[in-house]
Amino acid sequence: MTKRTTSNASECVLPKLCGADIELGNFIAGIEQIGGTGFDASHALLAEIKGLPVRPGNYFDSYWSTASAIPKVEEDAHTESCGLKGNSIYNPQDVSRRFLAGNGGSAYIDLNHAELCLPEVVSAFDHLAAWHGMLRIAKTALDSANEDRPAGQKIHVLVNNTDGLGHSYGSHLNFLISRRTFDNILFRKAHYLQFLASFQVSSILLTGQGKVGSENGRPNTSYQISQRADFFETLQGVQTTYNRPLINARDETLCGQIGSDDPRAPARWHVIFFDSALAHGSCLFRVGPMQMVLTLLELGLVNPRLILDDPLLALQLFSHDPTLKARAALIGGQRTTALELQCAFLNEVKRHAAQGVFVGVVPRFEEIIALWENTLNLLVEKDLMALAPRLDWVLKLMAIERAMEQNPNLDWDSPETKVIDHLYSSLDADGLYRAYEASGFTEQLVTPERIAHFSRNPPSDTRAWTRAMLLRRAIDDRVEVNTVDWDRITFRIKGRHNWPSYRTLALADPLGFTQAHAESIFEDCTDFNDLLDGLESLPVGESLVNDAIAVN
Amino acid sequence: MRFLQRPNDPQQNHAGADNDSDSGERLQQIRAQSDSLLAAGDDAIQRALAGSNSEAFLRSTRQLGGQ
Repeated sequence: MTKRTTSNASECVLPKLCGADIELGNFIAGIEQIGGTGFDASHALLAEIKGLPVRPGNYFDSYWSTASAIPKVEEDAHTESCGLKGNSIYNPQDVSRRFLAGNGGSAYIDLNHAELCLPEVVSAFDHLAAWHGMLRIAKTALDSANEDRPAGQKIHVLVNNTDGLGHSYGSHLNFLISRRTFDNILFRKAHYLQFLASFQVSSILLTGQGKVGSENGRPNTSYQISQRADFFETLQGVQTTYNRPLINARDETLCGQIGSDDPRAPARWHVIFFDSALAHGSCLFRVGPMQMVLTLLELGLVNPRLILDDPLLALQLFSHDPTLKARAALIGGQRTTALELQCAFLNEVKRHAAQGVFVGVVPRFEEIIALWENTLNLLVEKDLMALAPRLDWVLKLMAIERAMEQNPNLDWDSPETKVIDHLYSSLDADGLYRAYEASGFTEQLVTPERIAHFSRNPPSDTRAWTRAMLLRRAIDDRVEVNTVDWDRITFRIKGRHNWPSYRTLALADPLGFTQAHAESIFEDCTDFNDLLDGLESLPVGESLVNDAIAVN
Repeated sequence: MRFLQRPNDPQQNHAGADNDSDSGERLQQIRAQSDSLLAAGDDAIQRALAGSNSEAFLRSTRQLGGQ
């Protein structure tokens, strides 16, 4: 991370650290239940994922789960011996959360979906590797869970965002931005919000997974670019499961209490817009360009000529037209295609990149811009063959068209066509993306080794490194982990005469507690209390101050 | 029905590929192989189509709307 010292900055730019979650489609084929099989499938999957409970007790886990759903993890014996039994408030959107000592991420159940949360990363390329690393964890869990299923039943896991029956589930991103930028977008400068919404809407060309048909009362269509587009109904709001907003206003910092009066105070920008991705290009484009557009907003570099008159209407038009000819109005009255608008955003980013605004803020921004430009050029050329290895919606469309060519009885309304749509993202051996990847067809922007690394190890350049290492040490030292959250961990430690005491380590600074900051402390401290003393001695918020870049 | 046309000339030049030659060359190589490689998905497609009851499968995918 490039460090720039700031002093008396009236504005600042924070490195665009990114978190993410993957909400999985999970169900059991071979049995039919009213309301579906998501409950059983998600619990069976989560039972196979190792982790440490976040809350002091699993009363409702015990209440709800079957014996087969009790985690078969090495930490279990440790957890039980530590007496992690008690009461907790049942929240159907956050059931049985456990943090992973491997990579510092977490897993839990959200409304009967197994949900995987990536550890915080700074680089979009690391996001891509960590995303697929988490999918490897899910695949391993799936294989184990299916070993225990009765004959004729099989758990399926789909990395998608809709069941085709009118239910959508998200894959959310979170970006570190300044509190001032957060307030500007949501509460002070409406054109900032419209600028961001317009960028997101046009970016489905890069990030959409593709979907057969329409849902949620939208006009019929054969194939559309985005899985989620049909479900967005309002411009902004805090809600995520109904009347979904293009711009989500959830204010959940997860950065402790770092000074809110400081313009460099961190905020967490929560994005519910994007589809889940499998293709490396689509996955990278969810994060890299967003990092840069948020940086422009942080700097006040907003070009109002790129703002759509009605982003919600434009999203429907753009998504429902994979020929890329649909046009929507800008506030200036001109009508633009999604591709033209994306090219305009790219040019805006390139113009400011030449001024150095992304240095130290968006790692490898030159590579991301080059890939972005190359992809938009290929879209202009409609070079399907070149785009399919990189973009999910194109690859899925080609696969379905190929199936139709080989099976003349198929059409867009055939149930078999929708089955192909679903199985595109299956993690199991029946997955189409997996088949194309195994054949070498898909473009690989990170190596399999890097993906394997992030399935077992945390990023070195965020607080996730210390989170994972602390959990590992606690397991080794048999120290009870009382609670874990993204910005703190509380331990129950035996003190004098075996009287327990609780110690909480604040991990407020997401850019702090990195390997560079903390590794020597882990190496030097054999006693757990000494280790916490050492970590507590790290200045809180120092990284945010030093990594923030002043704007004069 | 095809939504997107394939290019007549798969070797045609692209402005972006000129500017970022590594990425462009990689994609040119992929394009040259892609037709045969796309066939790698055929088995998976045929397995999907061979499923005994597509409608039952589609019913089983039912989920709750998530967060």
